[in-house]
Amino acid sequence: GMLLVVLLVSNMLLTKEGVTSLPICPNGSANCQLSLGELFERAVKLSHYIHFLSSEIFNEFDERYAQGRGFITKAVNGCHTSSLTTPEDKEQAQQIHHKDLLNLVLGVLRSWNDPLIHLVSEVQRIKEAPDTILWKAVEIEEQNKRLLEGMEKIVGRVHSGEIGNEIYPRWEGLPSLQLADEDSRLFAFYNLLHCHRRDSHKIDNYLKLLKCRLIHDSNC
Amino acid sequence: GQSYPGKPKIIRCRSLEKETFSCWWKPGSDGGLPTNYTLFYSKDSEEKTYECPDYQTSGPNSCYFDKNHTNPQATYGITITATNEIGSNSSDPQYVDVTSIVQPNAPVNLSLETKPSANTMYLWAKWSPPPSDDVSSNLLVYHYELRLKREEKEEWETISVGVQTQYKVLKLQAGMKYVVQVRCMLDVGEWSEWSSERCIQIPNGESPPEKPTIIKCRSPEKETFTCWWKPGSDGGHPTNYTLLYSKEGEEQVYECPDYRTAGPNSCYFDKKHTSFWTIYNITVRATNEMGSNVSDPHYVDVTYIVQPDPPVNVTLELKKPINRKPYLVLTWSPPPLADVRSGWLTLEYELRLKPEEGEEWETIFVGQQTQYKMFSLNPGKKYIVQIHCKPDHHGSWSEWSSEKYIQIPTDFRVKDMIVWIVVGVLSSLICLIMSWTMVLKGYRMIAFILPPVPGPKIKGIDAHLLETGKSEELLSALGCHGFPPTSDCEELLIEYLEVEDSEDQQLVPRHDNGHPSKNAKMIPKETDSDSGRGSCDSPSLLSEKCRECHTLPSILQTPDVRDVQESKGGKRTWETQCIASEQKTFLFNNESTKLSTWPAAQLPNNQPPMFAYHSTVDAQKITLNTTNVNIAAVLVGNEEKHQSQYPVTETANNDVEKQREVESLHSKTDQTTVQVKQNRSNDKSPFLNPKLMDYVEVHKVRQDEPAVLLKHKENSGKTEKYTVPGSSKEYTKVSTVVDHNILVLMPDSCVQHASVSPEPAMETSPYLQQGQAEKNMSYCLTTPSECRRETSGSEYMDPSSFMPSFK
Repeated sequence: GMLLVVLLVSNMLLTKEGVTSLPICPNGSANCQLSLGELFERAVKLSHYIHFLSSEIFNEFDERYAQGRGFITKAVNGCHTSSLTTPEDKEQAQQIHHKDLLNLVLGVLRSWNDPLIHLVSEVQRIKEAPDTILWKAVEIEEQNKRLLEGMEKIVGRVHSGEIGNEIYPRWEGLPSLQLADEDSRLFAFYNLLHCHRRDSHKIDNYLKLLKCRLIHDSNC
Repeated sequence: GQSYPGKPKIIRCRSLEKETFSCWWKPGSDGGLPTNYTLFYSKDSEEKTYECPDYQTSGPNSCYFDKNHTNPQATYGITITATNEIGSNSSDPQYVDVTSIVQPNAPVNLSLETKPSANTMYLWAKWSPPPSDDVSSNLLVYHYELRLKREEKEEWETISVGVQTQYKVLKLQAGMKYVVQVRCMLDVGEWSEWSSERCIQIPNGESPPEKPTIIKCRSPEKETFTCWWKPGSDGGHPTNYTLLYSKEGEEQVYECPDYRTAGPNSCYFDKKHTSFWTIYNITVRATNEMGSNVSDPHYVDVTYIVQPDPPVNVTLELKKPINRKPYLVLTWSPPPLADVRSGWLTLEYELRLKPEEGEEWETIFVGQQTQYKMFSLNPGKKYIVQIHCKPDHHGSWSEWSSEKYIQIPTDFRVKDMIVWIVVGVLSSLICLIMSWTMVLKGYRMIAFILPPVPGPKIKGIDAHLLETGKSEELLSALGCHGFPPTSDCEELLIEYLEVEDSEDQQLVPRHDNGHPSKNAKMIPKETDSDSGRGSCDSPSLLSEKCRECHTLPSILQTPDVRDVQESKGGKRTWETQCIASEQKTFLFNNESTKLSTWPAAQLPNNQPPMFAYHSTVDAQKITLNTTNVNIAAVLVGNEEKHQSQYPVTETANNDVEKQREVESLHSKTDQTTVQVKQNRSNDKSPFLNPKLMDYVEVHKVRQDEPAVLLKHKENSGKTEKYTVPGSSKEYTKVSTVVDHNILVLMPDSCVQHASVSPEPAMETSPYLQQGQAEKNMSYCLTTPSECRRETSGSEYMDPSSFMPSFK
């Protein structure tokens, strides 16, 4: 009797899932393609979420470990992505070709793959690191990968198949995260989080700009 | 005794300026006698001695050597000789070298002031050389010394000034008080005394400006930004502010590109100077002539300092969809500076609202949309709405937009429902109260005031009377019971209806004489009288009617007056009628209850003292007995059924009658006849059954309370007498019908004429005027020839048989 009920319920759940997945991919998985607008919609949501997490984790870290240490004054020009020339104001962002901007976004995302993986592992060694920081680091790392996948799709669509494999800046900061001196090590974390907050905001801003430009014809 | 003077002593010789000099001495004892003092000097080693050239200038016991007697190079040998009558005495000689005795006076006019210099304050002291009468003394060269100390301290700090008469003192402590003196000397001789003290307070403010503070930086549209700073104290001098900034990754320091655009103490960075995702290190330097000071550095990433302007074009629109509650639609636009269309800046909105008189705002986060629909607003209230906005990630909320007001209209349906509910509740409440009081009071009242007495029967018209054509007699017979019964005689209502009609006709002959038009007006009044039944239960109305009854006798004697009253009364009756019929709706139930509960047993007790019987039936004896009462009670039961139909019929009649005021009497008669017929068909009314309808109830009412109840019974032409216990009077004539429902019977003139008439007359007189207001007594008919009627068989008219004859 119980088994039957369980089967019935699971069956119902399955049917429901089937139903909910229908509108997304009505023609089956083979030819199923999201429109560029939908892709951008998702990418923007994701980048928004990533930056939200990044801001949260930075603020949390700042409050807990950076108070009174004057990290901000040292955190100048210390990002591994600063070698990438990115638009720094609206005018520059509007002048750059959307393909170049997309490639920039891709580059920044890729350049963060490595450091985020290390961040997840190293952040657990911080003394009394709260769970909120830990899970945010994990979440950021995962979502960054998802966004990268999505961006590759978008870039593939926009570039009609070509995915630029340009060189992206390498992060050499792992040793700094493992420094024995606590102050230096904390600053290394601080700087990394600071840089990610900045870059994730850049990506989010560029994607919103691109979405308005490509999907809404600059009339959001 | 007296002796020669003591030896004087030369105290001092001094030259102020190397050109003159003076010597002072101290006298010895004078020996008790007046003593003269003489100074003798010799120059160098010359033999010749001279006496003092001037004993006056330098004061007593002194000698002043002016320029001519002063030789700086010479050495003077000086002695003082004191001489009196007895002898003389000389001091020891003193050898004076002029250059060695030079000591100038102290410098004068010392003045101090503080002045700011590069980094600190300095003291500026000025003075003048010692004064001298001699102009040539100005050529003298003095050397000066200045000393100063903190006021509270003991040690002086002495400064050699040189030949200048002014001096700058540096490195003073601000806020301290200093004391300053100067002295001088010539190239030879001694230092002068110190000059008098001068004090000065070194002011605090005279210093380099304080550190300015950078208050905040703000970007209104994520394209440009402005920083503001708060100056510190300016150190008492005009101060310049310079904003310097460097950008992350660049060594170079730039100065603010635009101090003007954003107002004083601000720096505006235009688009070209604004970069995002880069940290600006900003400092402000304040500089005045005393020095400069730099603010703490301010680190700014423009990404995080975006605070937009408030949204604009806020509109509130009230939508009223059919069959749904109205709702509010808010729309707004992003601030004009913000470029949200390009996607560079994304704004989120929040709105807040409250009722105008409310205290707390309700805040709603709206997200990125620029419109919002609000349901569930309280109708009839005025709301205040404001909106502000914020960039999607960082930055801060804008100011609130200006307040917008919207009046939510009252929901009419809801309002109506409420009104109706209130009306319903109220009216039912009133009904309850009324019925309650009527049940309680009416029961008592009726039992007390209106004992049931069997009414006289109206049993058609005497055929003889008709045949003889004595209409006046007919009228007299009919007029008196032409009106609806009071509350206690409801069962007779229908009979009265018919009587009224007949009365109309009776009136015709009378008024034909000169007042036909008035007559016409009267008729409806009479006809309505049945509708006045409702008022039977109202004690006030009842009493009024009673008074009218009493006035009847007097009216009979003054027909003219009565006519006037008739004409006046025409209209008013309609009014009273309306009231009466309204009241009836409320009273209806009560009437039936009341009537049905009439206790028969009480009747005999209550009646006797108050009433008089008028019998229209010739030779009929009115007797009251229990049998009659019983019958009356039965009739009452029947009557209750009829009553329920009255409101409808009556109202209809009233309306129709109004329209037909001018119509002929006949047509009206027809109308009433129809009505009667209707009554008959509707129910088995007493009209159809002579036995049931032959009760007439007449009560005569005294001024204070209804007093008389008369019942006449006639069974199929057979007459019964009802005697009132205690006063066996017989009333044979209907004297009048008053108002709507009171039938006044006159005592049989032949039998007991004298006994009855005086009393009513007396009672009436005081009420004559009131009666005039009521004007209804006009119906009363004079029947002088009552005696004649005695002979006629029946004086009661059966309306059913009477009416058709007028067709």
